[in-house]
Amino acid sequence: MKNGFTFFLGLFLAVALAWTGIVMGSHVQLGHLAPYFDENEGKAFPERMPGIAAQGQLVYQDLGCAACHTQQVRRPDFGSDKARGWGDRQSVARDYVSQAHVQLGESRVGPDLATFGARPLAVDATRLTQYLYEPHGGMPAYRFLFEERKITGERSADALKAAAPAGYEIIPTHRAVSLVAYLQSLNNVYEYPEARPVEPAATKEGESK
Amino acid sequence: MTTAPQAADAAEVTEIDTSARWPLLLLLGSALLWLVLSGILALANLVQLHTPEFMAGCSALTYGRLSAIQETAFIYGWAANSGLAVALWLLARLGGAPLRSLNWVVAGTLFWNFALILGIAGIATGDMTSNAWLHLPAYVLPMLLVAYGTIAVPGVLAWTGRRKEMTFAAQWYAVAALFLFPWLFSIAQMMLVFAPERGVLQALVAGWFVQGAWTLWLAPLALAAAYYLVPKITGRIIPSYDFAQLSFWTLLFVGAWTGGRHLIGGPVPAWVATIAVVSCALLLFHYIVVAVNLRGAFCSGGSTVLKFVAFGLAAYVAGGFLDAYTAMRGVAVHTQFTHFSEGQAQLALNGAFSMLMYGAIYFLIPRITGLAWPSVPLIRAHYAAALTGTIVLVVTLIGAGCVQGHDLNTAAIPFADIAGHVRPWLLAATAGQAILLLGNLLLATHLFWLAAAKSAAPAVFNPAPTMEASVS
Amino acid sequence: MSDLTPKDPRVEQAGASDESLQAAHEKLLGRKPDDGAHYKMLPLVLLFVFSGLIFYAGTYLNQYSARYDATVFNENGHSTKGVTAVAKIDPMVLGKKNFELVCATCHQVTGLGVPGVYPPLAESEWVNGSEERLIRIVLHGLKGPVSVKGTVYSAAAMPVFGKVAASGYNWSDDKIAAVLTYIRASFGNKAPAVTSEQVAAIHAKEADRKEWSAEELLKLP
Repeated sequence: MKNGFTFFLGLFLAVALAWTGIVMGSHVQLGHLAPYFDENEGKAFPERMPGIAAQGQLVYQDLGCAACHTQQVRRPDFGSDKARGWGDRQSVARDYVSQAHVQLGESRVGPDLATFGARPLAVDATRLTQYLYEPHGGMPAYRFLFEERKITGERSADALKAAAPAGYEIIPTHRAVSLVAYLQSLNNVYEYPEARPVEPAATKEGESK
Repeated sequence: MTTAPQAADAAEVTEIDTSARWPLLLLLGSALLWLVLSGILALANLVQLHTPEFMAGCSALTYGRLSAIQETAFIYGWAANSGLAVALWLLARLGGAPLRSLNWVVAGTLFWNFALILGIAGIATGDMTSNAWLHLPAYVLPMLLVAYGTIAVPGVLAWTGRRKEMTFAAQWYAVAALFLFPWLFSIAQMMLVFAPERGVLQALVAGWFVQGAWTLWLAPLALAAAYYLVPKITGRIIPSYDFAQLSFWTLLFVGAWTGGRHLIGGPVPAWVATIAVVSCALLLFHYIVVAVNLRGAFCSGGSTVLKFVAFGLAAYVAGGFLDAYTAMRGVAVHTQFTHFSEGQAQLALNGAFSMLMYGAIYFLIPRITGLAWPSVPLIRAHYAAALTGTIVLVVTLIGAGCVQGHDLNTAAIPFADIAGHVRPWLLAATAGQAILLLGNLLLATHLFWLAAAKSAAPAVFNPAPTMEASVS
Repeated sequence: MSDLTPKDPRVEQAGASDESLQAAHEKLLGRKPDDGAHYKMLPLVLLFVFSGLIFYAGTYLNQYSARYDATVFNENGHSTKGVTAVAKIDPMVLGKKNFELVCATCHQVTGLGVPGVYPPLAESEWVNGSEERLIRIVLHGLKGPVSVKGTVYSAAAMPVFGKVAASGYNWSDDKIAAVLTYIRASFGNKAPAVTSEQVAAIHAKEADRKEWSAEELLKLP
């Protein structure tokens, strides 16, 4: 390593080549990925989530929910994601194009949430909000997303059916409401062409693609 | 070759070491404080894993945030500070001249730690990002980058301004780590935080950064220490040293390509994961050569430092083989998304990196301070605790991961039952982490005792023999 | 050389000086590795290992990279450029949807129209008759009086629906074909479906033009 310049050039190339290959290479392929327009439905998928759900995604991020939950479904023959009802098809890159902060996650202490919006727990917002306050299973309770408010006059329509001190009710804060909206919006089920590619009919046996 | 007189050759401690005393002590003292803090937080986090009610009411310490905080404190607190200290010291000694701009090192250390505290407070109050190993909020990242630069520049200058022309393996690894991290860090900041990439590309850049931070930053820092300590203490030349260069460049050129390792089966084109699998396999060459080169550590002849180095090397090589094994898709389908990956991370961070750093710290502190460590039992106790704690933690996490992976892939097992199956393993892992924390406390206490005690014994160095350039 | 008595861990002694350490390794890099028989095997073994790993890497890359295609997420999968499974358009579903969205505004959901203002589609000779005329009406619009089932309607004009100049709707040929298929099979009509190819042929033939009049259409076969 006598020649200083060559050595530093080598060091720089080491990081530059990997960056070019992995990051830039995939950027070239996926950087301009656009939603897919479906003629039948007359709209583009993935649909943009409503504003309150986008706020909920920020809540999801800042609470670190990705530490226990993934949002990527594996294909049916790679694990048991489909058998568990977590999704019929593999998640593809296009599922995430309209998300500002992708929360893929790397750990499944809790179930996968990519298609959570379609599950029974998510369909009813009240039930899901209740779950955040009193979960069962291994999930911790997120009681700091709620506030105890003194009942003045009528009970609020948002009040949870939960035990509260006399004269008080439990109300979800805006963070809880937006988080619930976000969880309900998680529904990557649209079948893009690349999610289920079709074998070309004309391919003969043994012919390479 | 040297033109200096023989008397100067024999001096083990010179002005190079004494001039760097306070900056390095500041770095190492901060590193050990972060080590203890991250150990406490990691223990709490593990408890939350099997007992979700633990501290669930505190929004600053909810599981997701605490996990990010303890990871940040470990990597940017303990690993960065100790790695920088060891790298600077190695480059100065092997370069043959005292470090320059040490005031910048002190300023940089203070700013780095200040920014880190600010960042961790930010995570606790809700500003964390979702990128693995880069959870810090956006507002502290530029400060960290600049602080790192001020600490690293004297190290790089110690290489470019070295007195001797030829260089040794420890120097290559140290200067590579110092030089490469700012590139990784700044690119990751730009593409993930300040001008975020679109969609799933965020996960790709995050994966590239994590693997780059390990293979191009932390692993070289640890290997720099290992490559110096083993021949230095055993007095024997490194066998097959001519392969060390090839192994070095293999690590650097292949290392960052393993970025897609965590995206196997994920929403990225298949080639990303395939390249990661292939790179993990190619890296095996690097691990084999490191094992061959540094096998002298295993015949330590009673040296305590080499006991740490030996365990660190064993963990490093085992980790490399484990990475290549779990990268294979047939295995990844069972180990992905489970505690197995966490176990691998602990093997690399606590097993390999930390143990090698402990060895380096025990070796260099007497040399920069001129004082001996006060207590033999503390050193032995630390070794026992670190060894036991790391083994228990890694083995139980991997066991938990195997059980969890098998259960996840068996659809007949309801999801709610999986936590019950995994619980005993996690309880054992908590015990392992507690032992590890105890060891960290012992080391931190020991260093502060050395620094504070007025009656510490001076370190006496025997004249160092000359190394023979032949295989015995 | 190191002896086997345990050393004092409080100060780790050096086994060699830094200068001699570096000098010895510098010398080693310059030497030929041929002294000592046991030294010869190791480089060969390591080279074999490295070559083996490179071979494995190359083979694996070739087999499982799916030609670096951006749309292949399964490493066993093949690229399907140009042959992707586009969702099949069901004309009845698409046609019904667009009819109820747009056409029913005037022709009513029942297809009966508004007497004296909008002609009916149910059992209309224009709908069940020649496709040449029907397609042109939708593509380019109809202006002027037109006789449907004995009644003359001159109050309103049929707007332009095709992808032609001055069109507000810009419907694709597929969509027009779907809607026409739908109305030909609904409201009591039992005429054959209209295909996208038929619409496309007429579109290509006529290109841009102003609205048709009933007289011009009746001149067509």
